[in-house]
Amino acid sequence: MDPSLHQALKTGIAPLHEYFLQGSILDASKEYLIHRLRGLCDHADSQPEQFNDHEMVFMLSGQQQAPFTVHLRHSLLAPECWHLRYVGVAEMGDKTRQTLVRTCLDVGVSETIIKFLNEMGFRMEYEFVARGIFFHKGIMKVTVTKMFKMNQVNDTKSLEPVSASHLVEVSVVASTSQEQIGEDMKNFAEQLKPLVLLEKVDHRKLQPVTSQTNT
Amino acid sequence: MQKEEKHLEASLEALIQRVSELKSSIGALIGKLEHEYETLNWPSVLDSFALLSGQLTSLGRVLKGDKVPALKNQLLLPILISPEIDESLGKLTEGRVMMFNHEIPPTYLRTKPQPEVEEKTQQLVTKATCLAQDLAHKQLNNLNKFTSNLMDLMNSTKEDWENDAGHKNSQPQMCSQDDTNLLVATALYGKDLRTTRPRHPKSPQIGMMQAQQANNRQNPVMTKAPSAIKTTIKSAAASHPYQRP
Repeated sequence: MDPSLHQALKTGIAPLHEYFLQGSILDASKEYLIHRLRGLCDHADSQPEQFNDHEMVFMLSGQQQAPFTVHLRHSLLAPECWHLRYVGVAEMGDKTRQTLVRTCLDVGVSETIIKFLNEMGFRMEYEFVARGIFFHKGIMKVTVTKMFKMNQVNDTKSLEPVSASHLVEVSVVASTSQEQIGEDMKNFAEQLKPLVLLEKVDHRKLQPVTSQTNT
Repeated sequence: MQKEEKHLEASLEALIQRVSELKSSIGALIGKLEHEYETLNWPSVLDSFALLSGQLTSLGRVLKGDKVPALKNQLLLPILISPEIDESLGKLTEGRVMMFNHEIPPTYLRTKPQPEVEEKTQQLVTKATCLAQDLAHKQLNNLNKFTSNLMDLMNSTKEDWENDAGHKNSQPQMCSQDDTNLLVATALYGKDLRTTRPRHPKSPQIGMMQAQQANNRQNPVMTKAPSAIKTTIKSAAASHPYQRP
């Protein structure tokens, strides 16, 4: 049997992979990108969907093993929506691979999740507010996100932008490795040039030094 | 005599080869236009045209070359005309001409332009000869002037365009790699967000130490004494048995 299928049957969780590319666009040019995306993506006739999320990142650091991180998102537009996400380390792969790939697990949760995580020993590491719009094109998801630093803990009102750019991500969540997806995403990314350079961003280079010594 | 015939044959061979090359490139262009019109781009059409023009030039060079005897002096006579289907002729012409009947020779063996075209040409020629010499000169000069003006206009427009393109290149970038890295690092590792909360507060003493360091920066006069304290605390923290990683 396929090992991933075997694991899925055993644990009841299907191992999902996220294929993604990342880039950014300066705030001044954002409108051009939105126009192009509206033209390229599905539902071009309706307004793109907005989101305004408060993301909290929790970490469980044990004595021996490497710290374990989960991302909790809470929608500020629909306060009843909570979403917990685990993502693995992104693999660069070689040149033949068109996108970054990481394992991921998405769970819809309720507001008691923070208490539950704290009980388990998770501690909140950092938080930010992500605001923006998202598009669909087939199974592809495109997000254009403005990220905000929070001046006060747990205060989503007083915010400060992290940078003068919007983060742009194209991602697909699929069950097993499907090379065609990478090809499609690359073609899509090609159409957004030169507005956005969607690339495989090497996460290893971005890792803060402190976390490297701890992991 | 035989030598001349051989010569003619060789040159015909060369001509046929050139013409068939030309034919195949025209076919390729037509195929391109018919089948790839959705994905076709201008440079590729231009490539095809360039190929055609090159082949036409080389055909013309062969015709004008010294090695080719004057084909004008050759006679071509239809020997056999029959209304029956000729298989070999069909094969030779790729199914375009199936029989060599009475309709075919006037069209295919024509050496002069069509009568109406000839008439028009003749009209133009007589009109041209009617013109007085100095008037013709005047018109020629006018035309030259006009053409050079037009050339100037086009060149200056072209320069403008190129400048515009240059401007476009020098426009500020719409995205920045540094910002991408910063945003990804922020989302994934909380870069710049952790500053308010130390990531691993190892013990309360360390927190105190940081406060001390902050004090340090404020009054640089006090440099010596706190640094000594810092080292002692650090060693104490390191020897702590229940230290978190």
